[in-house]
Amino acid sequence: MDDKLFEILEYGVYGASILLILIGLYAVLTKRSLIKIVIGMSIIDGGIHLLLITIGYLKGGTAPIFSPGYEEAAAQMVDPVPQALVLTAIVIGFGVTAVALSLIIRLYRHHHTLEIDEIKRLKW
Amino acid sequence: MVGSPVLLIAIPLLAAFVIPLIGMIWKELVRIIPGLVLAYMLILSATLLYYVSYNGTIVETIAGWQAPWGINLDFSPLTGFLATLMSALGFLVWLFSYRFKRNVDFEPAKKYFIFLMLLIAGAIGIVITGDIFNQFVFIEITGISAYALTAFYTGRNSAEASFKYLMMGAMASSFLLVAIAILYSQLGTLNMADIASKMHTMNPTYKIIALIFFITGIGIEAEIFPLNGWAPDAYTEAPGPVGAAFAGIVVKAGVYAIIRMIFTLFDVPGAYDFLIAIGLITLIVAETSALRQEKLKRMLAYSSIGQMGLVIVAFGIGTHEGVFAALFLMLNHAVIKPLLFFSGSSLVFNSKKKQIAEMNGLGKRMPLMAAFFSLGAFAIVGLPPFAGFWSKLSVLSAAANEGLLLIIVLILIVSVIEIVYYFRVVNRIFFQEYSKEQSVVPHRPRINAMVAMFVLAIAILIIGFYPDAVTGILHNAAKDLMNTDQYINNVLQLGQSLTR
Repeated sequence: MDDKLFEILEYGVYGASILLILIGLYAVLTKRSLIKIVIGMSIIDGGIHLLLITIGYLKGGTAPIFSPGYEEAAAQMVDPVPQALVLTAIVIGFGVTAVALSLIIRLYRHHHTLEIDEIKRLKW
Repeated sequence: MVGSPVLLIAIPLLAAFVIPLIGMIWKELVRIIPGLVLAYMLILSATLLYYVSYNGTIVETIAGWQAPWGINLDFSPLTGFLATLMSALGFLVWLFSYRFKRNVDFEPAKKYFIFLMLLIAGAIGIVITGDIFNQFVFIEITGISAYALTAFYTGRNSAEASFKYLMMGAMASSFLLVAIAILYSQLGTLNMADIASKMHTMNPTYKIIALIFFITGIGIEAEIFPLNGWAPDAYTEAPGPVGAAFAGIVVKAGVYAIIRMIFTLFDVPGAYDFLIAIGLITLIVAETSALRQEKLKRMLAYSSIGQMGLVIVAFGIGTHEGVFAALFLMLNHAVIKPLLFFSGSSLVFNSKKKQIAEMNGLGKRMPLMAAFFSLGAFAIVGLPPFAGFWSKLSVLSAAANEGLLLIIVLILIVSVIEIVYYFRVVNRIFFQEYSKEQSVVPHRPRINAMVAMFVLAIAILIIGFYPDAVTGILHNAAKDLMNTDQYINNVLQLGQSLTR
């Protein structure tokens, strides 16, 4: 791949991950529906996962698997650690989202609404 | 040797997932097994702590991967002290909640004990792990079980409190992940000792950004001021023993994580001043908010936040005395606040609103509970013969040694506020008349709950009358935290490992 193109692409991916994080933050901070807030949270998670994967990427990288006959490929392997981190983080994000949605179900049964403004019995 | 540090995490995790299976055999086992597990953990961590204080840190490598690449567990005088404290408190929480409510039947009890075991496993994991991503995973384990425990009562507003906590916790974990991404991209390692040894090569801008993300992320668990909006709601809506577990276990783990970041990992100048500033703000805001609370558990929650502020101020002093004072405060808070939560939740047990005003004259109806609550109140504000006095004194003397007079003045003023709101409650319990309309019907706690409170009260008195019983351990722990080089050496294969 062309060096220049790769550089542009790399910045593009970094920019996309930051943009995803910001979109998610916007949703969490401004939306009034509980479901939309949880969706925003998931978008933030997605942005961070993309960021982590990008950090570990290498130009022209291959999968980090050692196989016979390809010993010299080690220099071209992408860093496997961020990928392991992202796998773990995806599972954790899934768990948190599941708990959040179950709490939303219970809140809906209590209040019969998902508007966050109408659910404020507890104050600071 | 009774075992290795990894069992402190593995056994409760295993127990948490085995409990529902065992419950099919005999339902009572669901309540008994956690107690046995926690007793074993207490014995194990106390033995290891004793061993460590004479022979130096135990570093355990997991699955044979050596330190910079694999995950290692670090059981030092500091982490061992905290792990022992957490398992002891976990055991007392179990003892108190063995039959917390008569109407809690099999199904909720099962969930309660599963999440309690996960909470304790996560908190001990945060403390003894030596890998930053592993710490993140444990923070999430602690967090998710804490959300679930907050929402334990289906009838109350607990879902709202839990959702609030979850939102803050989820945002915090995202920030933590960003911080880990920054650190990994700059240093190429996740091992905490390795990060600490390479930290000086990192660009200061990235360093500060990463530290800010970390403090924001972990500050949720540690109840630092702008991030503690979840705490009062969660403490109010969760069951009483869960409040005790939050104050004694979760918050301690959060504070440890922050302290490990600032003392060992990041050598950012000004971080200590930042700790002092944020701690003082937390302290003042929380104590003044506690003053105008009308619900008992909410007041205790704000008081708990304030105490954490004081702990962070003491850590921010940065000297050996300061760290010692902070650890002493953490110990005292972990002993006193559960007693307040236990006795307080017994006092307002049958009340719908849990108001302080409903406690009028309960001193005559439930003298023992009232005495325990007053003992806790006296101890936490720092009246001389009790435990809290020594820790507050050591904070003040540490500040005086550094010439930080403003801190002394503020702490003393805040102590007066603390006295006002605690003594207001004690006054209502003992000197107001009991009247049928406004007062709650007393609930006599069971014998196991009594034993749990009795143990805590004895601990308060022992620390109060004979502080030397614990100061040796605390001095060791403080020395351990201050000595970054030794931490790095221990972990990176230069210290002793557990293979004997």
